[in-house]
Amino acid sequence: MKRVIQFHKAFLPAALVSIALIVFGFAGLVTKGFNLGVDFQAGVNQYVQLAFPAADISYAGKGTPVLSISESAVIVVFSGADVVAHTASWDLKTVGTIADLATAMKAENIDVTIRDGAGLSATLLVPTYQGDYTLGPQAVLVHRGPKVASEAYGTIEQVRKSVETVGSVSVQNVGAADSMQYMIRVRDDGKDKSFSEKIPGLVKKALEGTFGADKVITMRTDYVGAQFSKSLASSSWKLTLLTVLAILVYATIRFKFQYGLGAVLAIIHDGLIMVGFIVWTRMEFNTTSIAAILTILGYSINDTIVIFDRIREDSKLDPSASLALVIDKSITETLGRTFITTLTTMLAVLSLFLFTTGSIKDFALALLVGMVSGTYSTVYIASGFVQLWENVKANMKPKAAASHAATKTSR
Amino acid sequence: MNKTKRFLIVLIVLAVAFAFLIPSIRWYYLTPKEDQALALGSREQIRDYAWRVARADMAELEKLATANDESPLPVQYDPMVKRARKIYKDLGLKTPQVWSAKAYLAAFDNKADALADLEDYYRTHVLSLKTLHGSAVQLGLDLSGGMSVIIRADLAALETKTGRTLSPAERNDAVVRAVEVLNNRIDKFGLTEPVIRRQGDDRIYVEIPGAADPERINGIIMGRGKLAFHIVDEEATSKLTTYLEANPLAIDDKLNLADQSLIPAGTVVRKFYTKDAYGLDEWTGRYMVINAEPGLDGNHIESATVSSDPITGQPEVVFNLDKEGGDIFFKLTSANVNKTMAVVLDDRVRTGARISGPIQANVKITGFAADEANNLALILRSAALPVELVVESQQAIGASLGADAINQGKNAVVIGLLAVFAFMLIYYKGAGVNAAIAQVLNLYLMFSILSAFNLTLTLPSIAGFVLTIGMAVDANVIIFERMKEELREGKGRKASIQAGFAKAFWAVMDSNITTILAALFLAQLGTGAIQGFAVSLAIGNMSSLFTALFVSRLIFDFNTDVFKRQTLSISWRVK
Repeated sequence: MKRVIQFHKAFLPAALVSIALIVFGFAGLVTKGFNLGVDFQAGVNQYVQLAFPAADISYAGKGTPVLSISESAVIVVFSGADVVAHTASWDLKTVGTIADLATAMKAENIDVTIRDGAGLSATLLVPTYQGDYTLGPQAVLVHRGPKVASEAYGTIEQVRKSVETVGSVSVQNVGAADSMQYMIRVRDDGKDKSFSEKIPGLVKKALEGTFGADKVITMRTDYVGAQFSKSLASSSWKLTLLTVLAILVYATIRFKFQYGLGAVLAIIHDGLIMVGFIVWTRMEFNTTSIAAILTILGYSINDTIVIFDRIREDSKLDPSASLALVIDKSITETLGRTFITTLTTMLAVLSLFLFTTGSIKDFALALLVGMVSGTYSTVYIASGFVQLWENVKANMKPKAAASHAATKTSR
Repeated sequence: MNKTKRFLIVLIVLAVAFAFLIPSIRWYYLTPKEDQALALGSREQIRDYAWRVARADMAELEKLATANDESPLPVQYDPMVKRARKIYKDLGLKTPQVWSAKAYLAAFDNKADALADLEDYYRTHVLSLKTLHGSAVQLGLDLSGGMSVIIRADLAALETKTGRTLSPAERNDAVVRAVEVLNNRIDKFGLTEPVIRRQGDDRIYVEIPGAADPERINGIIMGRGKLAFHIVDEEATSKLTTYLEANPLAIDDKLNLADQSLIPAGTVVRKFYTKDAYGLDEWTGRYMVINAEPGLDGNHIESATVSSDPITGQPEVVFNLDKEGGDIFFKLTSANVNKTMAVVLDDRVRTGARISGPIQANVKITGFAADEANNLALILRSAALPVELVVESQQAIGASLGADAINQGKNAVVIGLLAVFAFMLIYYKGAGVNAAIAQVLNLYLMFSILSAFNLTLTLPSIAGFVLTIGMAVDANVIIFERMKEELREGKGRKASIQAGFAKAFWAVMDSNITTILAALFLAQLGTGAIQGFAVSLAIGNMSSLFTALFVSRLIFDFNTDVFKRQTLSISWRVK
């Protein structure tokens, strides 16, 4: 038999630490507020890439070839009734310079007129972010990135300065520092109905005014209107509450009410810790964050239920044992399992964190924090609450319980 | 249940899952890119494509036949030869030894039949690919690139404009009409399959895969359709029609003539369209030569209604012009009496009407069936769409970003899976293999369910899968830990397995049910991205119940009974 770890002794200090953390999170929320994402704050998020015009591509033959440039290859799909359907692709790593690429593409009757950087590696070409181009007599322009870091232009200050006339604007660097990729957010105050149609064009024009025509590429544009973001915010609240309620009902059916309440208290604790984390790291708060919180609500409950399951089993095995002892014993017995399940899930989430970018990366990070908090709250908060409840019930002496209750319920 | 039965159930589930995966495999791995591009075109583009290719083939076949070439047809004609063979057989004729062009053409009564058959072949072929695409797993916009827009029909503004409260029927009509207009506009610019869906009372959801240039698409969605009246050059039209009948390929699919001297300067060729049974634009096969300059711009139309002629009972379309338009129209019609005027919407001729005399402001067009008249009225009215459309939210993602996202997702899934495998194998030794098999099956089942229900795969749903991989292992862990405890108490392999599964059952169920509960609530939350995540989380949890409780148990039992294993390899310490 393993040695039983005396978890119950740490219940009170743990509760105090948790309260401190949550209060700290609230303080951040009050003083700094959320860094609201576009879904919760009406406006346009426009991702732009500053680049150099590299070549004009045109096609005079029959059919409709469609050009797309990805990070690794240039692909042209020929289809239509008047040509032999086929796909031509050139690997950017092996094709050589941009001039070599032009020569290779000439074999497919595609004319590439190089504007700049003929001798540079074709890997510098900027992917066709705005969708694929249908080639025709009218040339389309493709871009390239800087050949050396010193060629890069457009600092974040310059970008900010050039777009500040558009409206209430904030600018963020996305990607590596010298990638020349920026996210420009323009807030929508709801006064102009055609805001979403006008703003992307205005931003682009402003940037082109500063950096030169043909040098600005829009990578993606997201817009959320005021009414939409409002209804999203209210439904997020409702859903979070309903989820908690549903879990409370389920846990009450499976166990007793105090167990259900303890479990729910633990997951609320995890949600609040995550909120604090999101606030203090200035991570963008958007629907993905809500998804992370709801996921943790559903996930963190698992460990708690396994422990409660064990408490019930163990108390049946030895009805005379004190609750504190049973709880300690049950937590100890399931501790390995608690750690391993969290660890395996964390391995998967870590892989998500490492291999993705943008909102999914933030999502994975929020999940990791939630999982750590979940493991901790399972052991200390949920069981601690159950013990407190039973203590209060069994020992109605107000003196001992009151001080406990005050600390625990003030959360 | 005995093992054979359980094994059969697992096999059946795997086979059914595979059947669901077939369309996705065929579309994403076995269909060449150029065929995909064709299949993703609008139905109208496919029809045009079949029309053109059939004519090109026909020209080739006739050339071979006239040259008395007796050699067999090249391989690309194999599918058509197969169809011709069937015709021979149905007629009870002996099929030819060598399928030369002549033998092939002899299967048909005349050239028109042969042409129709060729056209039908190409059309059916591309349309079957389109159906295939429809039954494969769909890629979300974040993976395929493209644009989604939620548009609200501003009914409040419409009420202010009309100065009265709209009845529910009127509100509905306004939104229905807006959807129809959007359908028309987006259909025209074709290429990929647009999704246009009404959402709730006054919202319209539009999704255009592939295209991600908001400026261009906003122009299409929010812009008014370009309606104009053009005077038709009938002489040139009939000359061109005769010429094109003989040389159907003398005009390319962008309506450029090989020989521009066929039409007078200042005129252009346009196709004549009608609506088919599904309300889609259908080319009638006719061309019209019209003046390049419009006689009257559609902006001058104030209203349009359908009524019937009080004497003949024929439906007629009546529309009113504003003052300026009336003047222009009067001059135009006075100068062109007895000529035909074409109603052109976005460069497509919709209808033609003979000008019987000068017309001022109240225009009547007669001479079509009731639904045609309704269509025309709709076209005329949509040029002056009364309800204002407001963009509620919009997302545009470039296709290359989508390709990056797919790679990120793949890497995250593979590395996540490998990391979990490595851990399970090291920590649980032999039983880890069992968990690994369960995980692979789990992933396989998840994709199959996604495919079966035609759900959309997005980056968040891949994230859901990765998370599920981590969480699904939990079920294995709960069970394995229980088994270890049983082993520690001195039980044998068989008894430990039995007790382990039995005691862990409720813990596994509880944890999955609570997660599914959370996922179901999450699925209600606004945007599609989060729904994708929630749905894949729920799917993953359900399929992991099957793999952890059923499949994994079966593998353990198999090893016990069939391979006569006495010990359980599950831990380094507990033997």
